[in-house]
Amino acid sequence: MKRNGILTGWVSGLGLACAAFAAQATEEIKGAGGGAAAMTATPSAVTQTMHDNAAKDGQNFLQTNGNYGQSRFYPAAEINAQNVARLHPAWVFQTDVLDSMETSPIIVNGVMYVTTSFDHVYALDARTGQQIWEYKHKMGPITTYCCGPNNRGVAVMGDKVYLATLDSKLVALDAKTGGVKWAKEIADPEAGYSETMAPTAVKGLILVGTNGGEYGIRGFLKAFDSESGEVKWTFNTTPENSQGIWATKDATGRDMHRDIAAEKAAYSKNGDPYKTLGGGVWQNPSIDLSTNRAYFVVGNPSPDLDGAIRPGDNLYTDSLVSVDLDTGKYVCHFQYIAHDVWDLDAVSPTVLAEAAGKDGAATKVVMHAGKTGHLYVNDAKDCSLIRFSEAMIPQENMWVLPTKDGARMLPGANGGVEWSPIATDPGKHLAFALNLHQPMTYHVDSSPYPDGKLWLGGAFKIIPSEEQWGQFVAVDYNTGKVAWKVKTPQPMIGGALATAGGIVFAGEANGDFKAYDSASGKILWSFNAGAGVNAPPSSYVVDGKQYVVVGAGGNAQIDSKRGNAIVAFTVD
Amino acid sequence: MRRGWMALAAMGLASGAARADDIAQKAAVCTACHGETGVPIDKAIPVLWGQNEGYIYIELRDMKKGARKNDQMSQVVNELSRDDMLALAAYFAAKPWTNLNQPRAASAEQTQFDSMARSAGCVGCHQEGYKGAGTQPRLAGQSVAYLEKTMLDFRSGARTNNAWMKDLLQTYSPADILEMARVLAGL
Repeated sequence: MKRNGILTGWVSGLGLACAAFAAQATEEIKGAGGGAAAMTATPSAVTQTMHDNAAKDGQNFLQTNGNYGQSRFYPAAEINAQNVARLHPAWVFQTDVLDSMETSPIIVNGVMYVTTSFDHVYALDARTGQQIWEYKHKMGPITTYCCGPNNRGVAVMGDKVYLATLDSKLVALDAKTGGVKWAKEIADPEAGYSETMAPTAVKGLILVGTNGGEYGIRGFLKAFDSESGEVKWTFNTTPENSQGIWATKDATGRDMHRDIAAEKAAYSKNGDPYKTLGGGVWQNPSIDLSTNRAYFVVGNPSPDLDGAIRPGDNLYTDSLVSVDLDTGKYVCHFQYIAHDVWDLDAVSPTVLAEAAGKDGAATKVVMHAGKTGHLYVNDAKDCSLIRFSEAMIPQENMWVLPTKDGARMLPGANGGVEWSPIATDPGKHLAFALNLHQPMTYHVDSSPYPDGKLWLGGAFKIIPSEEQWGQFVAVDYNTGKVAWKVKTPQPMIGGALATAGGIVFAGEANGDFKAYDSASGKILWSFNAGAGVNAPPSSYVVDGKQYVVVGAGGNAQIDSKRGNAIVAFTVD
Repeated sequence: MRRGWMALAAMGLASGAARADDIAQKAAVCTACHGETGVPIDKAIPVLWGQNEGYIYIELRDMKKGARKNDQMSQVVNELSRDDMLALAAYFAAKPWTNLNQPRAASAEQTQFDSMARSAGCVGCHQEGYKGAGTQPRLAGQSVAYLEKTMLDFRSGARTNNAWMKDLLQTYSPADILEMARVLAGL
């Protein structure tokens, strides 16, 4: 489907909104109590205070992962373990883009914002699924697609809706009309920069990372002024001294078979590789407003498989990093894998929580579920590792080096846990993670920096004769033990949502969208949406009724059946 | 194939200015081989009409700077500025895709192709339906001879401007590649 249309913004809903306002006024004058279905909701402003309180907000769903900690724990219990078996579709909205859906629906006072592949944004009435407006981004000619034409959603702040695009732009839209207020280039798309993430809005800033870890870019997290779009600060994820401490073991203590002598010789000869070292920041950071810090994880070094060309630990790739929110200055980091040659990078977003520290006492922690198959729990103060969980999926031949003809290792290069955000249940100290089991061979072949093209330094190939599957795993993050796990017929990619109703939701490639009992993993409800449910679910309450909503559009990366639907569910 | 194109090249690019109304004139150089109605004059020459804008630009850029070597194209691209390349890319991308009426593959071949393609994750860049987008080319319905030559050239290293394509295609046999070309051409 060609996306090079002429439209930059489409004010389709303006007339409708005006009619709705008139209808509302008429209803009020008449004193009619019902007739809600006749009116369309109107977009309303979002304040910083609302964002500050998002974790306790059982009406809206204001952020990509629920709240600044990114717990994906929704504090409403109207839908719960006792009644979820009666969950059924309330409405379906069919978008005009039939392709991968990774969007986290955002809901503000009864208005829902969702995005599609190729960067369309819809505002919908969250009660009925009726369209309010649609924005169709006009993609620039130079747009790179590493892993599908995806988009993970918008950020909302004030009277604006913010979108990051595949041609590396940050676009601010008028929340009421979908019209463009401003658009800024984030970085040069011809160099391989691109965006699939949802931005984060906090304290007058819009935070955006970048794709491009497969393109020899220099990764970053940028902060833009939410009103003007000017860049306030940039944190480069690959420092000028990226060599680190020449670590031979990964965070779990396993030997990575590095040839340190050869690397040091290459480093002396060719210098630091930081300029084309990769290190994208694929998704939203967590924010701790009490310490004024942002936490995020950094993607893989470039080129993915060829380590010889980039000697050193390749800081801060495959790391947890914390920076000051006002200045973007470095505070601390922890590298999960130094000098990664398997693309087992850190992509699933961080979660701030309270957990048992090294001494057992309650401690502020930062958690991340890795492609390696481990859930890592780090100290939020200094980024040090507290514990890592049991493996959530099979691991075999870990850290075997890639070869020309291909070396088999589990997990495959998609994980473990890919970009899928985890959910958490703080009361049960459980984290819920979507895992993939995809046996692959890792091939290495050296090539020089390719000027903005895909630069893997080899190839990953799925082994067609071996079975692939997925696993939804609950981990007790106080102990690192797997509490329960449920196997799924296909590898899992998407996201989870846990609620105060004692349930956790996750979708699958075959179209199943399920509710599990959070404590036991028992499947309490299932619905087949007709296309891959490979997006993170959201929840919200309108007029006292709780909904669960999810995108069913499939996913390019695991090639699940494509669709175009947003489906909202209620219990009646 | 070479009849008259050199003369057309000299004629079309004499002015050097990248004004919009010059584009049709500049494009005359292209249509001499790639076809005045979109059908190339030779089976080995790829369909250009309806190809993705970013991809056309990148290939012109790469051929000019020598990242990709192509004897027939080298004279043409030397005269093109970056603005010319972007304008020509937009011009041809706006045309409807040319249907070469190549036969559709048998369903058994299609199934085998799907399995091979899943292994390498082709749709991740070339998109569902293999129509590509942006800087990733459309493969669906491209000339089978051009697809075969291109994939084999990536595999052998003769085509030098995408190391990733080389690595990926080296994991397939030439026979696999011929089959993939047939299926893609028939889409």
